[in-house]
Amino acid sequence: MANRDFDRGISLSNAGGYWRGQFAAMGGPCEVLCETHSEAETERLTRIAADEVWRIEEKFSRYRRGNIVDRINRASGSAIEVDAETAQLIDFAKTLYEISDGGFDITSGVLRKAWHFDGSDNVPSSERVAHILKSVGWDQVTWSRPVLRMRVGMQIDFGGIGKEYAVDRAAAMIRESTDVSCLVNFGGDLAVTSAPKTFNHWVVGIEAIAASASIPANILDLRVGALATSGDARRFLLKDGIRYSHILDPRNGWPVAEAPRSVTVAADTCTQAGMLSTLAILEGSAAEAFLDAQSVQYWCDR
Amino acid sequence: MSDKDKRTIAATLAAATCSLLGSGLPDPVQAQEDPTWNFNTALLYYGEDDDRVQDLSLSILANRTYVDDRVLTLGVTLDGLTGASPNGALPQSFPQTFTQPSGKKTYTIDADRLPIDDTFKDTRLALTANWQQPLGRLYQFNIGASASREYDYTHFGINSKIARDFNRRNTTLLAGIAIARDSIEPVGGAPDGLTAMANVGDLSNRRNSDTKDIFDVVIGVSQVISRNLITQLNYSYSDASGYLNDPYKLVSVVDGVTGEVVPIPQLPGSEGPSHLYLYEHRPDSRAKHSLYTQAKYHMAGRVLDISYRYMTDDWEIDSHTVDLRYRWPLGGSSYIEPHLRLYSQTAAEFYSLSLVDGETLPEYVSADYRLGEFDAMTAGVKYGWQTGGGNDMSIRLEFYRQSGDVASDVLIGNQVNQDNYPDLNAIIVQVGYQFGR
Repeated sequence: MANRDFDRGISLSNAGGYWRGQFAAMGGPCEVLCETHSEAETERLTRIAADEVWRIEEKFSRYRRGNIVDRINRASGSAIEVDAETAQLIDFAKTLYEISDGGFDITSGVLRKAWHFDGSDNVPSSERVAHILKSVGWDQVTWSRPVLRMRVGMQIDFGGIGKEYAVDRAAAMIRESTDVSCLVNFGGDLAVTSAPKTFNHWVVGIEAIAASASIPANILDLRVGALATSGDARRFLLKDGIRYSHILDPRNGWPVAEAPRSVTVAADTCTQAGMLSTLAILEGSAAEAFLDAQSVQYWCDR
Repeated sequence: MSDKDKRTIAATLAAATCSLLGSGLPDPVQAQEDPTWNFNTALLYYGEDDDRVQDLSLSILANRTYVDDRVLTLGVTLDGLTGASPNGALPQSFPQTFTQPSGKKTYTIDADRLPIDDTFKDTRLALTANWQQPLGRLYQFNIGASASREYDYTHFGINSKIARDFNRRNTTLLAGIAIARDSIEPVGGAPDGLTAMANVGDLSNRRNSDTKDIFDVVIGVSQVISRNLITQLNYSYSDASGYLNDPYKLVSVVDGVTGEVVPIPQLPGSEGPSHLYLYEHRPDSRAKHSLYTQAKYHMAGRVLDISYRYMTDDWEIDSHTVDLRYRWPLGGSSYIEPHLRLYSQTAAEFYSLSLVDGETLPEYVSADYRLGEFDAMTAGVKYGWQTGGGNDMSIRLEFYRQSGDVASDVLIGNQVNQDNYPDLNAIIVQVGYQFGR
């Protein structure tokens, strides 16, 4: 989530057969494609999505002073009572922690103090990683809804859920407001609100990001459902011929070995797709086997 | 995480997402990759020892998947055949001369050598097309066509298949038919059965061409027994009628005492066979019944594939085939697959090493080694891996050995001194490459 003032503007364009609304949020471009000929309707629907994602960003960005995440992270060991929506997200994160055996952990953000994935050879010492790791671990958090208490030095971060949650929330609000089919796309994590009527499906490209561009982009026909991608080929460290991916395993504080560079999953909701792709990357070399066992459609780029 | 836990993650996650997002969840995902072409290419070398048949074959199979699981498959195969094939005559302790199939020249086989016809050379082009599509939720429909052309043979066929799922897709019943019309235009014409090999230039016992019709039906059931085990049982019936002879195969006519082929004196200035050979003659129909059963067992990435086929026909050939494959993953992206195939067949009722001079001719006769009693074994290994670009590559190396059996009580006189059914050894090398769009 970007640490900058938001540009609260939206722009509209006719894409031929459908309209596109665009705005910036969560550190990147966002768009809402609407199966309609009405510019006004597109503006209304884009506004619904933008307002919701801006609200979520304000509320859960770890860069915003005074929001619930900031209050939790500055609690210095005291208990914080949270609102219902935050409690839902914390409950969800707890379930993810359990089903991933600790691989998904919203307290792992402090590891970023040690790791800077800037393409350099700046790999931290194992002492430094071990030291920071003492402040990581959901099992050290006392969570008794709606009260959360963390040890001094620990932090939480909804960055691993936030964007997918925002896509699904925006899609749900558009769905409640209209029958028009919309594709809500926040930087590649996307969902279709309902099946399109004048055409059969939305067409979505899945980029191949590996340096070996011999794998062309897959073109996907998405009628309903969602897609999310985890991994990023541009964020890594390279030292002594070892490529350290930016996906850190909170159980040891080190990048996941032999992880795919990116994993895209198709699922009913963007949240499910995003969590499955994240959990797959945590499986490292067994990412594909993990996804096969989940019986989901996926695209792994190694 | 145990394997079981990993499988239930998607379900737990779905429930957790439902409580996070509340009501108003969307419909289940419907995503499908855009139509893409996938290509399966293979280069195969088959080589028999003793300079017998060599085949270099290139095949390309392309399939394109359209929305709603409709699949178009197109195939092309180009074969280049060279080498020599046994002509059916017996080896003798003296040289033998034969007229070439073209009727234009002769060739001579040394003493104690199996007579083979080395004019065998052909290029074959085969094309296939198939369209598959679901009909409703439970039916799958296939329709296809095939055609091939080589110097002396043309094939054209059509086929169709329908399958229906039952029992929550654990059981599938299938039924299929295929019909084909093949035309044979042998080099020099199709000889009439049981007529003698004639001199060079004499094509009086040849016809230009002939045809055969083939009709096949198959019915089968496949059954998912457990998450790891899938089984298949098929019955098929095949009926061929028309010209079923091999126009290049002969039967030696031998002396009833010595067992040696009967000589024909050649007049000065004439060129032709040194001995008496008759063209083979097979019945003009053949009905085959076969039963095929297969089991595929998956064990954590390893796959054991066992199949057995029993075939019986009205030529009295019975055969048994057992095929075993075991795919063994090596790491994440390669595998090794040993393969063993065992085959055994009884001889056709009219199979005979030779005919005795002076005896009444049988209605049908063939000395083609492929209609005799023999056992065969194929043993080999395939290694497959994923290339850097994510495509599949494989290499397969196999050895084939066929050994025939001629009962000693059918041998006459000096025939015991010859190897009347020499073993056949062949090597098979195949390189496969599979890639998409």
